[in-house]
Amino acid sequence: MNFAGITWDVFRVSAEVTTLATVLCVLVGTPLAWRIARSRPAAASMLSSLALLPLVLPPTAIGYYLLYGLGRQSAFGQFLIDDLGIRLIFTWPGAAIAAAIVSLPLYVRTTQAGFEQIDPDLLAVARTMISPQRVFWRVAIPLAWPSLAAATVIGFARNLGEFGATIIVASNIPGETQTIPTAIYDATQAGNHGLANTLAALTLLIGIVLLSLLALLFHRTQRTRQL
Amino acid sequence: MTLEVAIDRRLSDFRLNVAIQAAAGELVVLFGHSGSGKSMTLRSIAGLDRPDAGRIALNGHVVFDASRGINLAPHLRNVGLVVQRYALFPHLTTAQNIAFGLTGWTREAQARRVHELGALLSLDGLEDRLPHQLSGGQQQRVALARALARPVDVLLLDEPFSALDEALRADLRTELLRLRAEVDIPIVFVTHDLREAHLLADSIAVLDGGRVLQHGPREEIFRHPASRRVAELTGVRNLFAGIADGDRVLVEGLPLRVEPVPATAGPVDIAIRAERCLLRRFDPDGPLPENCFVADVTADLAFGNSHTLRLHPMGAGPAVEVETAARPYEVLGIAGRQRWVVELPAADLIVMPRS
Repeated sequence: MNFAGITWDVFRVSAEVTTLATVLCVLVGTPLAWRIARSRPAAASMLSSLALLPLVLPPTAIGYYLLYGLGRQSAFGQFLIDDLGIRLIFTWPGAAIAAAIVSLPLYVRTTQAGFEQIDPDLLAVARTMISPQRVFWRVAIPLAWPSLAAATVIGFARNLGEFGATIIVASNIPGETQTIPTAIYDATQAGNHGLANTLAALTLLIGIVLLSLLALLFHRTQRTRQL
Repeated sequence: MTLEVAIDRRLSDFRLNVAIQAAAGELVVLFGHSGSGKSMTLRSIAGLDRPDAGRIALNGHVVFDASRGINLAPHLRNVGLVVQRYALFPHLTTAQNIAFGLTGWTREAQARRVHELGALLSLDGLEDRLPHQLSGGQQQRVALARALARPVDVLLLDEPFSALDEALRADLRTELLRLRAEVDIPIVFVTHDLREAHLLADSIAVLDGGRVLQHGPREEIFRHPASRRVAELTGVRNLFAGIADGDRVLVEGLPLRVEPVPATAGPVDIAIRAERCLLRRFDPDGPLPENCFVADVTADLAFGNSHTLRLHPMGAGPAVEVETAARPYEVLGIAGRQRWVVELPAADLIVMPRS
């Protein structure tokens, strides 16, 4: 399908990349944030710095490292491609991994703040009754869920807009790895201002929806805290 | 002994070194000011804080032994913990809070247990409420029920009533005394409230600066403090330096007879509680009986049901604080006269080694 020069593939690929990247963020970032929130100060600051590293690197540098790490130049990449048959370079899952790494610091920071707000007395009492794993599922997750949800929305938004790392790892192949941001880049380069305009307006619309969702979650958080 | 604790914990600016024991059904109070180490002791028993050395045994099970590398996780120690600010799970109802630790129980068994504890702690009708819909007193009852739901080997209470107002506190103390008779486990109660300690304790461990200064039956702690510091901490207001010689102790030029006869002669600390001092009418011509001296009232603090008087000696004898109930205060007419005879009864004087 085609409308005003937009192929729907751009949205399909963007949705796939963003969803997978957000899932990766949640799966890796949540336990990491919990670990940071529960660690002694020294260990926590070390883990925290590690989790923040992607924030201080240019996304293109992250993309470059990923290209090297997942490609045939590295031993790990060779193992992935030759032994497991997993090719990530120039594929949309590769783009998702790149986006997830870039947005991980934002996700971890927000989630960690939620975990740190839980009353330490609650966790202490819980720990005397159930295993640490159950404390995580039965106390930490239910009490920090507004922060987790907010972090997921923020991560999702960041993943949707990821450009630098994505374009290096996955390139900009229409129908395969071309996402909304890379399509805007393409359209601008080609002088197709109508297309660039439409795509940019769409991102603006999605952005407003996501921000409204965040505001709603923030409101929920405030209310839960008052209880 | 079903509770045996002997632990050592070194921090950069604090050292905890305590040993306490308690029998089943015994309520032991850890008494001390904030920073004395009483809460850290409790957290160590619960497994929330790890001592550097020592051993902790609950109901015959060793839950911590540094020399053998044993350090059971908190949830494997069978302890019930109640903290100062209730710490109920805000997303769970009363019933769910009480059943929180009953993992592996069937739904029916959980419901039965919740019902039993609801009856024990007068929580009927509150099962479906969320914590914020309960009063402070109700919340703390739920916290107690939650701590006792599993079959625990010790109940740990960390200043459980200090966030409540006075009337509720009195109710819950009475409730705890009743509860103690029903649960046959040692109870460790942390408090800095002297009256609370006296009301609840079977035995008291007085903590100061990370050490146990004295650990014994309640009456012994209050009647026979082992040192000047214990006397101070347990609210003794009159503390003097004296010189012991036979059954007399010389204080500020006044020889006081003491019972029993002190074990040693020479420098001692001597103390008497303000409420143990007696006032007699002053008769300028009469003889001064044993352990009596003349003093003038310099301050009179009215506390409603009692008065605290400060008296300054008119000759030999120490400056003392005397507490008298409102009724004898009025009968004697203390307000109308300044000069009195103070008696320090021999049996109420506490003689301690000089510190």
